[in-house]
Amino acid sequence: MQRVILLTLILLSAALPPGAAAAPDVTLEFWTISLQPFFTDYVNGMIATYERTHPGIRIRWVDVQFAAIEQKLLASLAGRVAPDVVNLNTEMAIRLAEQGVLVDMDAAVPAAEKKRFFEGLWNSVRYRGRNYGLPWYVAPNVLAYNAGLYRRAGLDPLAPPATEDKLIAHAKTIKDKTNVYGFMPNVDTIRMLHRFQENGLAILSADGKRAVFNSPAHVAYLAKYVQLLKRDYFPEDTLRRGFLGATERYSAGQLGILTTGPQFLLRVKQDNPDVYAQTLVAPYPMGKGKTIHLPTMAVTIPKTSKNVKVAVEFGLFVTNDRNQLQFGKLTVVLPSTRAAAANPFFKQSGATAEDKARKIAAAELPFARDLTVVVPQAADLYRVFREAIESAFFGKMTPQEALDWAVKQWNARL
Amino acid sequence: MSAALRGPVVSSRFLGLSPRQWRTALVAYLFMLPALVLLGVFTFYPVGFGTVLSLFAYNLRTLLGMEPARFIGLEHFRALWSDRFFWIALSNSLKYILVVPVLQFSSILLAIAVNRRLRGIAWFRAAYYLPVITSIVVVGLLWRWLYEQDGIINYALLALGLIERPISWLGNPDLALYSVMFVTFWKGLGYYMVIYLAGLQTISPEYEEAALIDGAGRWQVLRHVTLPLLRPSILVASTISTIAALKIFEEVYVMTGGGPIFRTFTMFFYIFDVGFQKFDFGYAAALAVVLAVGIMILSALNFAVFRRGGFEYY
Repeated sequence: MQRVILLTLILLSAALPPGAAAAPDVTLEFWTISLQPFFTDYVNGMIATYERTHPGIRIRWVDVQFAAIEQKLLASLAGRVAPDVVNLNTEMAIRLAEQGVLVDMDAAVPAAEKKRFFEGLWNSVRYRGRNYGLPWYVAPNVLAYNAGLYRRAGLDPLAPPATEDKLIAHAKTIKDKTNVYGFMPNVDTIRMLHRFQENGLAILSADGKRAVFNSPAHVAYLAKYVQLLKRDYFPEDTLRRGFLGATERYSAGQLGILTTGPQFLLRVKQDNPDVYAQTLVAPYPMGKGKTIHLPTMAVTIPKTSKNVKVAVEFGLFVTNDRNQLQFGKLTVVLPSTRAAAANPFFKQSGATAEDKARKIAAAELPFARDLTVVVPQAADLYRVFREAIESAFFGKMTPQEALDWAVKQWNARL
Repeated sequence: MSAALRGPVVSSRFLGLSPRQWRTALVAYLFMLPALVLLGVFTFYPVGFGTVLSLFAYNLRTLLGMEPARFIGLEHFRALWSDRFFWIALSNSLKYILVVPVLQFSSILLAIAVNRRLRGIAWFRAAYYLPVITSIVVVGLLWRWLYEQDGIINYALLALGLIERPISWLGNPDLALYSVMFVTFWKGLGYYMVIYLAGLQTISPEYEEAALIDGAGRWQVLRHVTLPLLRPSILVASTISTIAALKIFEEVYVMTGGGPIFRTFTMFFYIFDVGFQKFDFGYAAALAVVLAVGIMILSALNFAVFRRGGFEYY
């Protein structure tokens, strides 16, 4: 009997590939946001390279939808099964940093590695003087517009708007002449905070202890958009659906101009090739502040990870020059490291809308910075701001009353 | 049977039950055990834990063992009184209860309509029940599309000339809550219809026939015969419906996210928001306790109104 068991074991071990029986020493769970199915091969290839060069380490990749990642991450933290490495945007990362559950990257990353990143981007996920995320990829907004609708409205498709006021004028003409909405401005939720800054309007006092977004200039800026909504120059749904709603409407041929991250052109291409064929791109019309909001995707490490050191190392691998360059070539995002961004690839223009958008976005980088307003009790303060802005848009308060009220609420908490 | 034989049986009683009765009770409890375990783990334990949690300062760091939970007594409940969002959420949840009478009355009418032997009636019953078994997320997404400014509802209304410009059903602060309530109504209609259908089928047609022979009209029969006899079903359905209305979450989460201007920001959504956006689990638990008390009060009210049903009504 013993001989039979022994023989069975020998046969079983012979059937398994070499090394299969050996469990990895460390398994890291890596969460990304909405990279499947477009970038499945890229991420799998990156993981395979890492595993090959780091024997004993296995990476388990989980891709989560943007809308679900925060809840899923919290549930996993509560269940003590949190991932080791997580891709988060600045807002989410700051919120978790405020709770003290993310690894301090200023302490964990060697100085030489830090220098690889653009300084401005390294400071994106900064809370109370410390950085809590490795900047990964960025995508400053560009302008995409439907040349067919431009022509129908009597506008010259080869003369896109260069300023925000011009953009509004074009949007109004499109609506007046074609009865199709010209644009859906990014003024939903707390995005008016970014718009203010893009127009050189400060949110906080220099010492960061007072909210100051109720000056006559702030009020006039908000009032301009309130009037546009009142006169039906953009749909009310804008305030609920944001840039995703705008992308959907644009893809359906029901929107003239789209101000969005260049990577969303790929969605238009997939959803409606006819509209994509009519799409031209141009630089984002800058406001008076001569700056563009640059949403940053970061790689963060929850403190609950049992392998923080390895997790940081893997995070640095994901964000290294080679991997970022490769990623940038597959889609229309820009790298956060100096060497990768300096690659001639990002200066080349191609025939497609996304190729042109990539070159435009790269040229915008010097003007771009993450304009996320980092404040304590961010969830509360953002909620107040959102309430004030929506109250102004829906006529429940005047723009002056709304901003005065929000500033008062912020100052009571700051 | 002799007294000698009966004697030991009497003496073997424990706590007033014979061994046979003990065995029967034991078997009954064994049958209930799986359900009791599930209820214990997924209902009673969370209820108890949540109630205790409401007395503690408990955040994400506490949850991860990075700092201890701090007992603060009724501090959270005191904080509720001055919390603007609590009153906004409570007021929206109370408004949401308006859906209950409309839903119940419509379900009763629908049940009466399908409680007939007509060709294809089974198909109609199934069609009305279909939304009940459809995932709420799917329903939410579906209605979100229908409600869009460039959605089919606006398209139809524009085509019929009933509106001049598309309406933002979910974006307009004066309409959003009612638009979401309509989805709850649409989804719940089939469920309550089935409850009422079962109730109607227990009412003998003789009572209605007798009333008709005595000269009662259709409305009088409905009011004085059908509805009183249906009261036990109304009690069940309206209690379930009131609880569901106060616990509304998924529709709001999928369709409006609590906006615009917090007009669809209901109690359950606020609990979620405090727990999973602000990570203040203790305060979220206190909100949940208040909601549970509210649900208990309204359930008791339902019992008080509809308890006298069936033949007891007369």
